[in-house]
Amino acid sequence: MAELIAIAFAAFFVENVLLTQFLGICSFIGVGKKRSSSLGMGLAVVVVIILSSVVTWIIYNFVMVPLEIEFMKTIVFILVIAALVQMIEIIIKRFSPSLYKALGIYLPLITTNCAVLGVALTNVKEGYNFSQMIVYATAIPLGYLFVMYIYAIIREKMEFSPIPKAFQGIPIAMVLAAILALIFSRFGGLA
Amino acid sequence: MDIIIPPLVLGSLGMILGVLIFLVGKYFGVEEDHRIDDIEKMLPKYNCGACGFAGCRDMAKALLTGSCRAESCKPIKKEDQENLNRYLDELLQGIPVTK
Repeated sequence: MAELIAIAFAAFFVENVLLTQFLGICSFIGVGKKRSSSLGMGLAVVVVIILSSVVTWIIYNFVMVPLEIEFMKTIVFILVIAALVQMIEIIIKRFSPSLYKALGIYLPLITTNCAVLGVALTNVKEGYNFSQMIVYATAIPLGYLFVMYIYAIIREKMEFSPIPKAFQGIPIAMVLAAILALIFSRFGGLA
Repeated sequence: MDIIIPPLVLGSLGMILGVLIFLVGKYFGVEEDHRIDDIEKMLPKYNCGACGFAGCRDMAKALLTGSCRAESCKPIKKEDQENLNRYLDELLQGIPVTK
């Protein structure tokens, strides 16, 4: 149990997917402008990462390891993730058109979100068993959601701040991300 | 023999996933107005956003309801634009003008 808590804490704070591993930065900058859309995107990423981690872990351990074709993990994982996102898109469109509309172009873009592939590859690299994998694959996207929400709150406040012209828009967003990453780097000593 | 296994696994995995997507699409898919597809085919599909809509499909929906004109599309070719206008005129013919 203590080990699982350690994995969850490390995944959430110490190895935060956005601010320490620098995965999934594209959607972080793109969707992190508004609180509502950052929440929707974060929840979609949570669902996709948990599902894709379970499926890729099963395929890796029960198909690829017995056949000794571990070297193919990257290409197989890309295939599985792309197919999963397609299916999730169809299902969301059917059951929640409003969420489908809110996510818009970012839902198909989760396919190419490197955080999803990164988690799937880390699971097998670290040799996690099933419960460790579930904990890790839940904590990582929750960390993503948490950081993205903080980021969106600060960026909403920044809309009304006097920012020098050269820094308006993406440049100040990059500066903000760097400052947040500095803060999160202090968690490094805890692991 | 070893060289056969990787393409076989990847091929069969692709096949299984393809069938799964087909089944999900068949049982959960939402049927949309086929005229949206027809109009979208005539647009350039760059998804550039110059028309002010989120992508070409969004503009196709707006064209169908008559809330925007084909001229709003900036990168469209001349002949495509003419085809599109003809299609829309035919579509809207016979529909009484409502006040």
